Amino acid sequence: MKFIEDNPNDVTRADIVVGIPSYNESSSISFPTQQADKGLVKYFGRFSSAIINCDNNSPDGTRSAFMETDSKTPKIYISTKEGVTGKGNNLRNLFAKAAELSAKAVIVIDADLKSITPLWIRNLGEPLLEQYEFVAPLYVRHKYDGTITNIIAYPLTRALYGRRVRQPIGGDYGFSGNLAGIFAEWEVWNQSVAEFGIDIWMTTTAMRNRVAVVQSFMGRSKIHKVKDSLAYAEALFPDVINTIFELMCRYDGFWKDVKWSRPTAVFGFGSGEFEVPPQVEVETKRLSEKFSQGLGKFWNEYNAILTTQNMNKLQEVAELPFEGFEFPTGLWAKVLYDFAVAYRNNVIPRDELIQVLIPLYYGKTLSFVLETQAMNNQQVEELIEDQCLQFEKAKPYLVERWFSG
Amino acid sequence: MAKILIVDDEEGIRMLYSMELQDEGYEVITLPDGRELLQVVDREHPDCIVLDIKMREYNGLDLLQQIRRRHYDLPVILNSAYSSFKVDLKAVAADYYVVKSSDLSELKEKLKIALETRIPPE
Repeated sequence: MKFIEDNPNDVTRADIVVGIPSYNESSSISFPTQQADKGLVKYFGRFSSAIINCDNNSPDGTRSAFMETDSKTPKIYISTKEGVTGKGNNLRNLFAKAAELSAKAVIVIDADLKSITPLWIRNLGEPLLEQYEFVAPLYVRHKYDGTITNIIAYPLTRALYGRRVRQPIGGDYGFSGNLAGIFAEWEVWNQSVAEFGIDIWMTTTAMRNRVAVVQSFMGRSKIHKVKDSLAYAEALFPDVINTIFELMCRYDGFWKDVKWSRPTAVFGFGSGEFEVPPQVEVETKRLSEKFSQGLGKFWNEYNAILTTQNMNKLQEVAELPFEGFEFPTGLWAKVLYDFAVAYRNNVIPRDELIQVLIPLYYGKTLSFVLETQAMNNQQVEELIEDQCLQFEKAKPYLVERWFSG
Repeated sequence: MAKILIVDDEEGIRMLYSMELQDEGYEVITLPDGRELLQVVDREHPDCIVLDIKMREYNGLDLLQQIRRRHYDLPVILNSAYSSFKVDLKAVAADYYVVKSSDLSELKEKLKIALETRIPPE
């Protein structure tokens, strides 16, 4: 993939690369750039390094904001061609540039991060200099932060690929130069991956390739620009789910033989900070309305996608009053598995199928919120672990449906 | 026949677990602490480790990290009288966390799952 490059220090080699993908982040990119620089100088001073802004030709001055940020580490700006956007496209350029620089370790951080510290750079990079090839973040999160992760991405990828990566779409990562090369050449790529699907694509591809994965404790919440978490989740949803289902189609020869799951190693103890995450409010009435409206609108589609038994169970859930509302996880797992099969079989056009899933996701989110209202974060983590086990227990159902046509 | 390594500083626990797990058909070896843990793992190649947490001068959570660095996919079940260690981030590296009880059903269930776990080779 071709890209535009500005490399004023003529960097031709970098052991450690920090990549910052962006689009229109001129007001925010300086801070993570400075923190990355501090982290590289403090923890990786004995290595050569570079900070690379991989941009989409932002019209708001992101390039100059980045290049004019004071740093000891040399900076490189690369960009997709005009008109080409998407985080995935940005990272594809980064994979190629990292290979060109013979990078041993590549760290990716978001351009709008407000909570990043230099320690994040150490924690995402140091394991790559040992035996690990993929580093996923472990943020401190409020129980209602990351509902797509908690309800879909984590339990589903864990059940499918057998590895417990708690935050598979965290957004900040580390991967080895070797893995960057694999990513660059991997043939599975589509428009969703090129946009917001890239995070789940990288995590899944790492698991599918059985590389050594570690989860690194960031010590703090991820605080970035997101204001309305529900609207943000709705924006991410199509690309993330489309990518998960597409990869299920491609990797079914692998995941069909996966049974249960294994943990990863953990890195980053003694990070010093352990902050209480910021409160996340959820509008339960809004979730309930979206669930009910979706059921009314897409009832025929649900009949076409779900088995009769699951449809009957969904009907029972739909009839529950708000105060006693519950969407059992066993049913939710089977609903997702039915949707995956329907996606594979093109029961309805795939873009429509993903939209039709959204109201049910809202229903499950509502159930999760109501169930956990009185729980602290640790209790919620235990609940999520139980829910993941239910996904794993229901896996034979998926295998049977998938491979019997 | 799967080989299970029990690491616990209480002799009564080691004896109870040995009897019950041998009745289930497992081969059982035991250690009273973490002093020779890594050497024993290298020598005996257990299929799963059941690891206590509070063991006088040894901390099972720290031992777990040492095991994970050397044996990425060796199943380890943390087994403690205290549920409070679940909040410790280091516990994430364990396959399961089972709170000690006179009823070993949960431990046996998690042991069975840990031994059945499979990720296909390339």
